[in-house]
Amino acid sequence: MSAEGGVQYSKIAEIKGPLVVVDDVSNAAFDELVEIETKEGERRLGKVLEVGNGKAIVQVFEGTTGLSISGTKAKFVGKLMEMPVSKEVLGRVFDGLGRPKDGLPDPIADKFIDINGEPMNPEQREYPKDFIQTGISVIDGMITLVRGQKLPIFSGSGMSHNLVAAQIARQASVVGTQDDFAVVFAAIGVQYSEAEYFRRSLEESGALKRSVLFLNTADDPAIERIITPRVALTVAEYLAFELGMHVLVILTDMTNYAEALREISAAREEVPGRKGYPGYLYTDLSTIYERAGKLNGRKGSVTQVPILSMPSDDITHPIPDLTGYITEGQVVLGRDLFRQGVYPPVNILMSLSRLMKDGIGEGSTRADHGEISNQVYDAYSRAQEVRALAGIVGKAGLTEIDLKYMDVGDVFEKEFLTQATDENRTIEETLTILWKIVSKLPKNEITKIKDKFIDQYYQEK
Amino acid sequence: MVSNSSLEQAIDKILEKTEKEILSDLENSASTSKKTLDDSLPILEQEYDQIISNGKKEADKIEKQITGSSDLEARNKQLTTVEESIDKVFTKALDEIANTDRSGDYSNLIKSLLEESTKTLGTTDVIVFTNSKDRDTVQSALSQYSGAELSSETIECLGGVKVKSKDGAMTFDNTLDAKIERLKPLIRKDIATQFGVSN
Repeated sequence: MSAEGGVQYSKIAEIKGPLVVVDDVSNAAFDELVEIETKEGERRLGKVLEVGNGKAIVQVFEGTTGLSISGTKAKFVGKLMEMPVSKEVLGRVFDGLGRPKDGLPDPIADKFIDINGEPMNPEQREYPKDFIQTGISVIDGMITLVRGQKLPIFSGSGMSHNLVAAQIARQASVVGTQDDFAVVFAAIGVQYSEAEYFRRSLEESGALKRSVLFLNTADDPAIERIITPRVALTVAEYLAFELGMHVLVILTDMTNYAEALREISAAREEVPGRKGYPGYLYTDLSTIYERAGKLNGRKGSVTQVPILSMPSDDITHPIPDLTGYITEGQVVLGRDLFRQGVYPPVNILMSLSRLMKDGIGEGSTRADHGEISNQVYDAYSRAQEVRALAGIVGKAGLTEIDLKYMDVGDVFEKEFLTQATDENRTIEETLTILWKIVSKLPKNEITKIKDKFIDQYYQEK
Repeated sequence: MVSNSSLEQAIDKILEKTEKEILSDLENSASTSKKTLDDSLPILEQEYDQIISNGKKEADKIEKQITGSSDLEARNKQLTTVEESIDKVFTKALDEIANTDRSGDYSNLIKSLLEESTKTLGTTDVIVFTNSKDRDTVQSALSQYSGAELSSETIECLGGVKVKSKDGAMTFDNTLDAKIERLKPLIRKDIATQFGVSN
């Protein structure tokens, strides 16, 4: 940061959607921060998207409503957008652009960091392999999250993803270490009531003091949503790599982020890609998701749980599709389970944590974790087949073992999957329930678990 | 009376049988009760443990809530107090700057501000605005810049200059107010450090 200011230009050539075209501009830089001043003296922030031929295209984060060509001025600040960071940001609530929203003063900054982050040197990346306990059985037991992983939640409109997000934010912890843990929560284009729910939920559980909230509500300008995940990740990186904390970043809802990107792309008259999203959607998403990880020689980690609501529950939609290419697995919420009133309605057959195998087992969770999880996955899959069969031939047409698998399916959904929103289960409790499910089956049906574990944990009737 | 004695015998037999049955039932009931009690003991112990563990979890949760919110409240109060003190320091500093003697080094400052401004705008064909106190200093410094004019209008500021290209397309605010505003986050940090607040 320097005392040198930037030049203010007053020739606005055009205002188009969220974009302002400034004329006769010299010395502007790509991504440079711009202060737009309205006729009435109101200030808005923006950034340079394109420069050339004496023109600069500026994307205004707070929207262009109320701006007119005459009287509007654009000041090119001479620096990129930066986020002031310090340990003091913990426990604070900011808006989508990183300005305080809790009535308290700006945090006294230790550093000012470019919100675009610095790319992680791939060679310096450390393979994620340490367990994070969310207290939600289905995630901890079967789709385990590890430190430094990016594990998205694919949801649908109206489903309980926000409850899941808030529960993870409240309960998540690292076990077996005294290292500090923090949660950075970025709400992107959520309803006011949802934003309030997140804030209240963290406040009332006492988890706010280890959290940082960035709230961009649905009535905030859509363009601001481009910035929200970036400021959140900038703070997360600072807490992780400068202060050595393990940081869990929850981004909800990334679909709103992609919508904002589409809006800008349309205003710039770019050639649209699938469903009107820009062709660079994959690259753009990767600039967010790839900011998760661990670095050699650094203590902290950034773990990401982006949440996206799939339009029409379509998993082939460009947003979940491209997200799935970048991230390391996915947690899929199922509409059928949601309709049955199951919370959290996680469809485990479509869910997967690619890094789970490295974060569980002896020394991390428990030696039998991987095997019991595989066995339950297999049994639940069989239960679904049996349910489908029962729908055709009726229950009377099923064999005794089929009925046992049906029972496994019911117990799985009622006792393992179903959990109260304030119920924080330890990994031991989760594994005990998994063994209860498996113990519904006769021992000869248990093919994926070593005998020594069966002898130790199988619950005889 | 034969019939009477056989009746009595039959009655005795029935009584004896009933007594045996009752005793055996009682014995069975006692052992069933004992077994039920014995069986329920571990369940009871399990439930007892469960209740204790749930209670402990709930107590931990409440403790976290209370300590979390009171920690935050204390921290927020500290932030507000520090900010109030910073504001006081700022106000005092701005007063001192406003009343600085305009002679000596100050004219050099104005010269460097003008130099910086014309360089940034890329032209000396400019109109310069300043406050009433700095007019003379600016006027004398302007002689070095061909095409530069001092505006008859004055602006409200602590000091320094605001430079506008003659076509009105570009403006460069190089007033002390603008410089202080840009550096405010760093100055706040320095003041806070002086108060012993560090991150």
